Amino acid sequence: MSLPAQLARPLAARVTLLPKTIDIEASTIFNEGVAQAAAKAMADGHTHYTDRPGILPLRQNVVEALGARYGIEMSADEVTITCGVIEGRFVALKQLVPAGSKILAVSTSTLAAAAQLVGADMTEDATAENIVMVFLTSADNAAKRDAILEQAATKGWWILWDMGAFGSDENFHPVQNPALAPKTITLGEVNELSGWRVGWMAGSSAANKLRAFKQSMTICTTSVSQWAALGLKGSAE
Amino acid sequence: MTVLNSNIPEAVRAVASNGTQLRYALMELSAQYKDAIALGRGDPDLPTPPHIVDAVNQAIRDNKTGLAPISGLAILRDAIAEKLQHDNGIPASRENVIVTTGGQEGLFLIMQALLDPGDEVLVPDPRYTSYDEAIESAGGKIVLIPTDHEDAFNLRPESVEAAITPKTKAILIITPMNPTSGIVTEDRLRAIAEVAIKHNLIVISDEIYEKFLYDGWQHFSIGSLPGMADRTITLNGFSKSYAMTGFRVGYVAAPENMIDAMTKIKAVTTGAAASISQWGALAAVQGDQAPLHEFHRIYTERRALLMAGLRAMNLNFSDPRGAFFLWTNSSSTGIHATELAYLLLKEAQVLIFPGTGFGENWGGYLRISILQSTDLLQEALARMQPVIARYGV
Repeated sequence: MSLPAQLARPLAARVTLLPKTIDIEASTIFNEGVAQAAAKAMADGHTHYTDRPGILPLRQNVVEALGARYGIEMSADEVTITCGVIEGRFVALKQLVPAGSKILAVSTSTLAAAAQLVGADMTEDATAENIVMVFLTSADNAAKRDAILEQAATKGWWILWDMGAFGSDENFHPVQNPALAPKTITLGEVNELSGWRVGWMAGSSAANKLRAFKQSMTICTTSVSQWAALGLKGSAE
Repeated sequence: MTVLNSNIPEAVRAVASNGTQLRYALMELSAQYKDAIALGRGDPDLPTPPHIVDAVNQAIRDNKTGLAPISGLAILRDAIAEKLQHDNGIPASRENVIVTTGGQEGLFLIMQALLDPGDEVLVPDPRYTSYDEAIESAGGKIVLIPTDHEDAFNLRPESVEAAITPKTKAILIITPMNPTSGIVTEDRLRAIAEVAIKHNLIVISDEIYEKFLYDGWQHFSIGSLPGMADRTITLNGFSKSYAMTGFRVGYVAAPENMIDAMTKIKAVTTGAAASISQWGALAAVQGDQAPLHEFHRIYTERRALLMAGLRAMNLNFSDPRGAFFLWTNSSSTGIHATELAYLLLKEAQVLIFPGTGFGENWGGYLRISILQSTDLLQEALARMQPVIARYGV
């Protein structure tokens, strides 16, 4: 027994732009510290909603990790725990990139589908019109990245600095230039726990706005996952 | 009703016209009061049943924590489809189910997949204002359908039909209801289904509180009616039924093309729901249902206690046929509900959501939750009484 294949009315036009979904099978390595942290969280009753920003110890962990690695200062109040880096990316785009505008990137593929969903275009052309955001990762060519950041500072573009899928092998962070801090959203993910769905977005003058929209999408990130991430040493790096 | 006075903190005043932000502002304000009793948020205080916790621990020990498929674990989608057939009479198979990161995400995905800019969705008023955000984020327009106290906030088919325009794409139903705890009765659902078919509309049926009805009322799923299979999108989840809000697992049942579209959107907006949560949800749907019966017994007792306490304060409320709330008429105080909620927090350290947290038209109501122990509910009532009495009810 099954429902009909087609809904009685057409779906939204935006759906036709999206690529076919590909599930990723990622192997996991059992971690005793994570397992114990998760078990303790459940034993302590942390199976209900967390605060909207996410649990404070994990947000502090993010702040401390960013400070230790990059020497940048941030408050835990500026951090929101997300359902992986994917949610952080979409929240930032949906809230900061109006339909019809452009996102500049060294490599446009990572964000292409999310940009389509919000009605924006990706571009690798820094002279294009209507650019409102730049998307940069630690995997990008440093010279190109620096040139883009210089333009971003001049033109007031938002900067989406994505550490989530690309790691961080160097000690560079855009917010080391304090003038870029109000416009820079840093995204990360606990990569070792991809199936637990824990990421974060940190910083910028839009932090509260992004947090409110994240809440409207998923309320909060899985509580046990957040506590479990604390069982992973250096979880925010 | 008295206009908001200047004693209300700016953090609350600034968001007073936005129901969702108002509720969160009050929750954040209540954190300043050490002994505050929270009768606001719809988060069951009862512990998640042990067999669900055990299942999650076992999944972790078995290293079943990798990325799940975007649409959810196949075994969970199968179990949900079976539940929908058995409990709700809704025809479903795996292809008709997507597992979401809570019911809230389900709502967001539905609107993104369904609505083009300008499409209208009919929504009963008062309502969970996250509907507004989900609809508006897809460029849709919310059209409110009036309901009233005298009718226990049951949805009237004639009110639904009167609101239909050429731009109407869907009717959103929630039963049992948040915030009123009313239900849409089976006779009304049958009539609304006829309206939907007549005007070729989609029905979005939010059934997140389906397990908690009282006084002999029974849940009924509109998706089980003849002719509704290709036009019903059923939204549900595990959070409320199994006291596991923090796991963030919900689901949507719909025709296959709708599920495919939602899966594509989910892939670029949040990714898969947490795998540990899905194993917990599987234990919930397949495991022992006795905890639900115990939850129901506890909620019934608390509901009776709260009803008696409010009556003793001469406050009346809509007939609470389901869910977790007493939708309480506070207009006799002469104080706007936003201000009254603030006064109850400040002077009695009791967090209650004002009706304005559920729509701008509800400044004469409070939504009071039963989700605290009987001891705390009694304490809350004792604290509220002098504050309410001061305003001459």
